[in-house]
Amino acid sequence: MKRGKFALLITLFVMVFFYLPVVIVAINSFNSARFGGEWKSFTLVWYSKLFADKNIWSAFMNSLLIAFSSAVLSMILGSVAAFALEKYKSRFQTIHRMLLFSPLVVPDILIGMSLLIFFVAVQIQLGLMTVFLAHVTFSISYVAMVVLARLQDFDSSLYEAALDLGAGRFNAMRLVVIPLVFPGILAGGIMAFTLSIDDFVITFFVSGAGAATLPGYIYSMMKHGFPAVINSLSVLFVIATFILVLMSRKFLVKQ
Amino acid sequence: MKPSSYSKKRNELLSSFPSFIWLVILFVIPIGVIFAIAFKAADPYGGIGEEWTLSTIKELFNPIYPAIFWRTIYLSLISTFIAILLALPVGYYIARTGKRMREIFLVLVIVPFWTNFLIRIIAWKVLLHPDGFIKKILVTLSLADPNSILLYRPETVLIVLVYSHLPFAILPIYAAAEKFDFSLIEAARDLGASRFQAFRKVFIPGISSGIVAAFIVVLIPSLGSYVIPELVGGASVEMIGSKIAQRSFVDRNLPHASALSALLMLAVFIPLFFAALWQRKAALTGKVK
Amino acid sequence: MDFLIFENISKSYGSNKVIDNLSIAVQKGEIFSLLGPSGCGKTTLLRIAAGFEEPDSGRVILDGQDITNLPPNKRKLNTVFQNYALFPHLTVRDNIAFGLKVSGFSKEKINDEVERYLDLIQMTDHASKKPSKLSGGQKQRVAIARALINKPDVLLLDEPLAALDLKLRQRMLVDLDWMHDEVGITFLYVTHDQSEAMSISDTIAVMNKGRIEQKGTSVEVYEAPRTSFVAAFIGDTNFFDGEVKSIDGDYCLLSVESFPDIRVYNDKAVKPGGKVYLSIRPEKIGISHNKPSEEKINVLKGKVEEIIYLGSHTKYWISVNGFRISVIAVHNTFMLDIKEISFNDEVYIYWSLDSCYMLEQYKEEDEALLTLPDDEILDQETV
Repeated sequence: MKRGKFALLITLFVMVFFYLPVVIVAINSFNSARFGGEWKSFTLVWYSKLFADKNIWSAFMNSLLIAFSSAVLSMILGSVAAFALEKYKSRFQTIHRMLLFSPLVVPDILIGMSLLIFFVAVQIQLGLMTVFLAHVTFSISYVAMVVLARLQDFDSSLYEAALDLGAGRFNAMRLVVIPLVFPGILAGGIMAFTLSIDDFVITFFVSGAGAATLPGYIYSMMKHGFPAVINSLSVLFVIATFILVLMSRKFLVKQ
Repeated sequence: MKPSSYSKKRNELLSSFPSFIWLVILFVIPIGVIFAIAFKAADPYGGIGEEWTLSTIKELFNPIYPAIFWRTIYLSLISTFIAILLALPVGYYIARTGKRMREIFLVLVIVPFWTNFLIRIIAWKVLLHPDGFIKKILVTLSLADPNSILLYRPETVLIVLVYSHLPFAILPIYAAAEKFDFSLIEAARDLGASRFQAFRKVFIPGISSGIVAAFIVVLIPSLGSYVIPELVGGASVEMIGSKIAQRSFVDRNLPHASALSALLMLAVFIPLFFAALWQRKAALTGKVK
Repeated sequence: MDFLIFENISKSYGSNKVIDNLSIAVQKGEIFSLLGPSGCGKTTLLRIAAGFEEPDSGRVILDGQDITNLPPNKRKLNTVFQNYALFPHLTVRDNIAFGLKVSGFSKEKINDEVERYLDLIQMTDHASKKPSKLSGGQKQRVAIARALINKPDVLLLDEPLAALDLKLRQRMLVDLDWMHDEVGITFLYVTHDQSEAMSISDTIAVMNKGRIEQKGTSVEVYEAPRTSFVAAFIGDTNFFDGEVKSIDGDYCLLSVESFPDIRVYNDKAVKPGGKVYLSIRPEKIGISHNKPSEEKINVLKGKVEEIIYLGSHTKYWISVNGFRISVIAVHNTFMLDIKEISFNDEVYIYWSLDSCYMLEQYKEEDEALLTLPDDEILDQETV
């Protein structure tokens, strides 16, 4: 299997490419030297500095607040939109569909830039509120996409079977459709939450001066002096992502 | 009873309007405003002039802009090309390998996919720092001059672009490869194709929808990238995205930023248009349902 | 007693008329099959009965009550779906209990009934499994029990065996028949498979293009098809263009192609000069090396063009003046002892005057059905 070997080789190379920088950052986070050109001595000082940094914690809380609230709202808006798209096949829905899916193909910087100008024009004070509005805007599309995929896989004869067996429309929705589609809705919500936590570019444009989320705070640290706590913060981020991905895979495989 | 068509229409509107109105107000109108402001001039106080004018658009031909524009296009295209080239064997391998290995590799691809991308860039900043690991190695191997700078070069921006977007390329290609019927490759081999021919003439066309998806999801964020050129490119490797941010935040010239944004929008729509065209053709010839 | 009545039902999707002013009645307690090719409107008719589709015009009457406008959940009809439509998130037990639960029966009553039906379909051991863990035949039985437990007036079955393999299909047919006897509920059975319909039905209605072509028992539709469509769709037959030459008492003389004149029982109101079809089922035709001497037969001479040995019978294609006639010889004696008919032999083929029949000329669009691929015909024969 020459081909297989070649593909394996490239795959391993890509994995090294992905993880070598992370591993070096991880090692560095325990190094008392700043940029890891050489190993000085083992230290946990960067971690203790990180946990002592009040700004990081408040930025993190801002991120959680925005992510949770925008995920909940976009989960509702996106799911309802997906139901409408799947149920009604009118011309209006064709436009609705285009509208829902175009934010997916517009670069972040354009969404951020356009919302900034818009908020300034209608004189909404930039802050957590505008960040929330922006995050809901880009999350709706992702939720709608995920839920719609689930709805399209949904076998309509199951709904008919429920009616056939004597359930009214409400019971058929409650007992059959919602339970079967709910994992899709939840997946959409989790996706919205993650996108919100991760977003830097759009937030940067619409957050104004005070309302820093965690990525925004990280960015300003990178621009201003690049303190070594960034290394330890990165390690925690990657570990957290690993745990979340493993959990979601477990959840998916169990389905 | 069948609901009357009136109440059906009402239900449709009730269920569509929340998302519809939200997106019109917070997506369509703001994007429209960008295009409009591109036809205004900046006033001296960082605001927007009253008059409609073409002068802002004309200024896009100022020599620094075309250079930035072309750099954006070629860095994006090359990084997309490299990402797909790497993603093809990776997607192929993950789809063909056993269940356990597949799950492990998938997780290893998904984790960087979801890791905050500032964090992922941080790693490169650390690596490429003048006192950093890579420089040290290169100097020790006498491959680099002790005074050379690794950051702020086009090649560096390219590497980081590929690094950031590679997971986006692998996942759709893997998804297509996973659905691919690999007995077709055996059939091609049986009919006399070499391994490479079978890969090129059977596998690649078989997963073309995944390749097109990968192309789009890598190219679009590359074209709009702002943080990467800003942090690892600096003033010498600007791209449209970083210029837009600079014009809006540093120079306070919103009309210029808007005109650049409109230009970027057009740059994004050209590949999208071709992808849509491809999809239509594929649908007509029965390749894609 | 007419129990389920379709009265002047019409249904179109856009310009496509799926059901064309159709009227038919199903008797209480019988197994009634709607048999027809795909697209003939049989499933649409079933969905109209279930309440998933509304007819453009016409009425559906169940046990004397007009149910045309009732929603599905208010009809005393239950459906066994083609793909079973078992709820994937519920266990076998909960699937079967679904109808009783939404109707608000007490817990004890539901439990008792579910146990009874689990036992009926011999699925008690699998009651806690999810549908994804079941085999095709088990899913099928759960789907039937889930519908039957509601004691519907009529059980609607939409191609219930289509997803099963041949052997399982045959067993399920026996099971279905048994369950029908057990519960005594009226079955309305939709299928495109003639052997399924013939083996299970009390009454078969052959459907084509949204109309009923013929209604009758299995024997009636096979032995005495009223239209060329029915003759061609059910079983295998040889068709010839013919013209009535003269009428001679109970029989009439046809001139058919370039054959010698053929005598056929005269059961139609035909006049000399009228155009008809002559239909002869392959198994009604005898084949022999020697000229047969019996009375009251038609005899043709031809050459053996093809022989397909099928165990219980052999199929021959005989060329007579350039026309291929298919003949089936059933083997009721030990084959190895018999002097074989072989390829290119000159043979006589013959059939009783009463075994062939005349039909009105079929329409051009039915012709596709007359040229089913051979293997499909064989498939149906072996069942």
